Amino acid sequence: MSPAGQERGWALAILAALGLLALLPLARPREDTLNFVFLVLLSITLAEAWNIVAGYAGQVNLGHAAFFGLGALVTRALWINGTPVLLAMAAGAAVATLFALVIGVAAFRLRGAYFAIGTLALGEILRTTVGNALPEISTLPAATIAGYRLTLRYYLALALAAVSIVAVAALATSRLGLGMRAIREDEEAAEASGVGALGLKLTALALSTALAGLAGGLFAYYHISYYPAHPFGPHWTFDALLMTFIGGVGTLQGPVLGAVLYVVLKEYLALRWVDVHLLIFGALFIGIVLLLPGGLVQAVERARGMFGGRA
Amino acid sequence: MTSPTWCLARVLEISGLDAGYGDVHALSGVTLSVADGEIVALLGPNGAGKSTLLNCVAGLVRPWAGAIRWQGEDLQALDAHLVVERGVALVPEGRRLFGGMSVQDNLELGAFAPRAWGARRAALERVYALFPVLAERRRTAVQALSGGQQQMVAVGRALMASPRLLMLDEPSLGLAPRLVAAILEALVAINAAGVAVFLVEQNVPAALGLAHRGYLLEGGRIVGEGESRTLMADAHVRRAYLGPLAVRSEGGDPR
Amino acid sequence: MTVLAQQLVLGLLIGGLYGLAAAGLSLVFGVMRVLNVAHGELIMLGGYGAFWLAALFGVDPFASLALVIPGALVLGAVLYAGLFGFVVRAHEEARVKNSLLIGFGLALALHALAVRLWTADERSIPTSYSGAVLSVGNLAIPLVRLATLILALVLIGALQLLLSRWRWGKAIRATAEDWQAALLTGIDVRRAYLLAFALGTALAGAAGTLVTIAYSVSPSIGLEWTLKALIVVVLAGLGSMMGTFVGGLVLGVAEAASAATFGGPYREIIGLVIFVVVLAVRPRGLFGR
Repeated sequence: MSPAGQERGWALAILAALGLLALLPLARPREDTLNFVFLVLLSITLAEAWNIVAGYAGQVNLGHAAFFGLGALVTRALWINGTPVLLAMAAGAAVATLFALVIGVAAFRLRGAYFAIGTLALGEILRTTVGNALPEISTLPAATIAGYRLTLRYYLALALAAVSIVAVAALATSRLGLGMRAIREDEEAAEASGVGALGLKLTALALSTALAGLAGGLFAYYHISYYPAHPFGPHWTFDALLMTFIGGVGTLQGPVLGAVLYVVLKEYLALRWVDVHLLIFGALFIGIVLLLPGGLVQAVERARGMFGGRA
Repeated sequence: MTSPTWCLARVLEISGLDAGYGDVHALSGVTLSVADGEIVALLGPNGAGKSTLLNCVAGLVRPWAGAIRWQGEDLQALDAHLVVERGVALVPEGRRLFGGMSVQDNLELGAFAPRAWGARRAALERVYALFPVLAERRRTAVQALSGGQQQMVAVGRALMASPRLLMLDEPSLGLAPRLVAAILEALVAINAAGVAVFLVEQNVPAALGLAHRGYLLEGGRIVGEGESRTLMADAHVRRAYLGPLAVRSEGGDPR
Repeated sequence: MTVLAQQLVLGLLIGGLYGLAAAGLSLVFGVMRVLNVAHGELIMLGGYGAFWLAALFGVDPFASLALVIPGALVLGAVLYAGLFGFVVRAHEEARVKNSLLIGFGLALALHALAVRLWTADERSIPTSYSGAVLSVGNLAIPLVRLATLILALVLIGALQLLLSRWRWGKAIRATAEDWQAALLTGIDVRRAYLLAFALGTALAGAAGTLVTIAYSVSPSIGLEWTLKALIVVVLAGLGSMMGTFVGGLVLGVAEAASAATFGGPYREIIGLVIFVVVLAVRPRGLFGR
C-alpha cells in the first residue's frame, strides 16, 4: 500500500476510535476517566499541530506553546465576557495564526538550530511578558462554575482531535503536503525544482498555529482556574515534541501513538514516582533520535517487515 | 628527465580504483603507480576526478572498490590522519590553511602526527630554508599573507610531516607565473631530498617539465600514460592541453 | 543614581558567570557544530557537586573547584564517547539538528534525575565569609561574588592559554577552522572533538560551582542557564573566548539596566530580546567571524 494510502487508512482507524470514544460518556464513567481521555485528546491535537511544521516542513518550532497560550488568552478573555465559546476559540486561533505569520516571515530566515532557539526565545518572551502583565490567577465566575459540564468539554476535545487528524490527513495527501515534504528532505533542491519554500513554510506554520490556538481555546474553556502565563510554558512545546518524535515524526499516526503512550505513562508513573516519566522519555527520546528516527511507527514497520513481509 | 622506473620500488600502487559521491561516479578502474623518488604528474580536464583520486589516497574519501597500497600496506580503509602517519601528505586544493593561526602554528601543526612530532624542529628549519620569506613572517596570521606565500605555507605544512610521498592538488592555481616557478623549484629541491611527488596540475607544460612520468585522466579513467617527454610529444595531449586553443583553468574539457 | 550603579555592579558580577557558562557551549559548538542544549544541566550538576562536597565533606566551595573540574572533564569525555560522539558522524546541518534533539533529551533526563535525587529545593552553600562586603564609595560589592567574577576570568584566561599554547589546544582550533585540513595534517579529529567536549563540560562544571557559591542551585537552573549561555553565544559570536566573556558581561549589565529602568520582572526579557534581535540582524554576533 502506498504511503498515502497508509496514512488514509490510519486516519480512518483513528477517527473510528474517536467515534467510539464519543460513546464513552454514555457509560457514565468516573470524572477521572473523562479527564484522562480529555488530556489525551488535547495532547493529540497539540502534537499533530506541532508535527505539521516539524514533520512536514522540517523545522523544529520551539515556540509552539506561544500559540497555545495566545489561543487560551484570547479565548478566555472573550468567553468570560460573554462571547459564545466557539466564536471565542475561533478568535483565539485567528490571533495565534496572525502572530505566527508576522514573526514567521522573519523567523524563517533563520536555519535549523537558529530557527529552533529563536522560536524558543520568542516563546519565552511572550511567557514572561504575559506573566508580568497578568500575574493573577484567572478564575471562572461562580455562575459559570455552577453550570460547568465536563461532557461538553469532552466532546469539544474529541471534535478538535478529529479536526486535527482530518486536517493533517488532507495536508499529507495534497500538493501542499508534497511540497512540504520536499522542503523537509532538501530545501535547496526543492527550491530548484520550483517549490516556493517560504510560502509553504508559512502555510504549514499557519495551519499548525491555528490548531494550537484552538487547543489553547479548549484549554481556557476546560480549566476553572489557572495562571494566564501557564499555557505559555515551554513544557507544552517539549511535550508535543516528545510525543511526536517518539511516536514518529512526519507521520499521521505517530503523534497519536506518542500522545497516548506519553499521557498513559505519565499518569501511571505519577502515582508512584513524580517526574520519572520524564527521565524515561528523555532516555527514550535519545534512543529514538540516534537509533530509530522514525519513532514507534518505524519500529512497528520493522517488526511487520520481520514477521509479515507485507510492506 | 628519465628514470629507470622498473628497477625502483613502487611505493604507491593504485589498482582498479572506483570512487564517487552519491550518484556521481568519479573514478572508474583507475590503475597507476608512483615509484620511490619519482615525480609523477596527473593531468586531465576539470571534473575528470583528479582531486577525487588524491582525496582517496589521502583518506578523505572512501573508494567504492579497488586498492591503494603504500609501501605494501593497504591505505583505502585508513582514516586520513593515519595516512599522514604512514608518510603520505597532501597539499589540498585551495590550500585549506588555518587562517586565524600564525605561519609557525600552521607549520607546526603539519608535524602533528606522532611520527613527525619529535622531528618537528628540524623539519621547521628545513621548511624555512626552502621558503625564507616564511621565516620572516612566522608570527603573521596566514590569512594576511599573499596567495603565493600561502601556497608556500601549504606546501611547507605538508613537508612538516616528513613524508615519503608528497601529493599536491593544483598548487599553481591562482598564482602569478613567477610564484608558480618558485613553487616548482621548491618541488625539485624536495624531490632531490628523496621525497616522491605526485602532482595534479592544470598547468600541463610546467607539470610535464617537472615530472618524470605522467598519467592522463579523463572522465574518471586513465586514458594515457608515459614518460613526460613522450606525453609532451603525443598528438592528443598537444591538441587538448598544449595547443593555442587549449582552455586553461576553468575551461573544462578543452576539446 | 547610586541604586543604578549598585545594580550595574551586581549585573557585572553575574555577567562574568554568564560568560563562563557560555564559553563551554561556544567551544563545543565552534569546534564540532554540536549545540548541546543540556549545557545548563551540566552547569547544574557542577553546582550540585560543589554543594554535596560542602555538605557531606565540608569542602570549602572554592576549593571544591579542584575536584569538580576534573570530575566534569571525565563526565564530558563519557558523554562524548557515549552520546555526542555518534552525532558527529552526520554532516554539519544534521549534526546541529540532532545535537539539539539529543541535548534536549539529555536535559530532560538529567533534570528529572536531579529532581528525583535531590528534590526541587534550592540549595546554597553558606560559609563563614558569605556575607563579606567590599565598600567602594556608596557601592557595596559582595566579596564572594567578586571572587567568582575573578575566578571566571582566570578560568577563561587559562582556557585561552590552553588553546594557544598546548599542542592539542592548537589542534582543537585547527579542527574548528577546517576539520578536513586538520585530518590532512595528521590530527585525529575525533580525539580533538573529545577533548573539546570534555573541556566544555569542565567549564560548565566550574560555572555551576561558582553559581552555587554566589547564588544557589536547584534542578530548574538548567534551562535558565542554557538560555543565558545561548544568548551570550549569539551575542558574542564564535571564535573568541575573551569575546564570549565580554558578551557575558554585556548581558549582565543589560539585564541590570533593564531591571532598574523597567522593573524587576523585565530583567529576563531583555536578554531574550537581545537574542532575537541579534539573530535577526547579525547572526554572526558582535565578535564572531
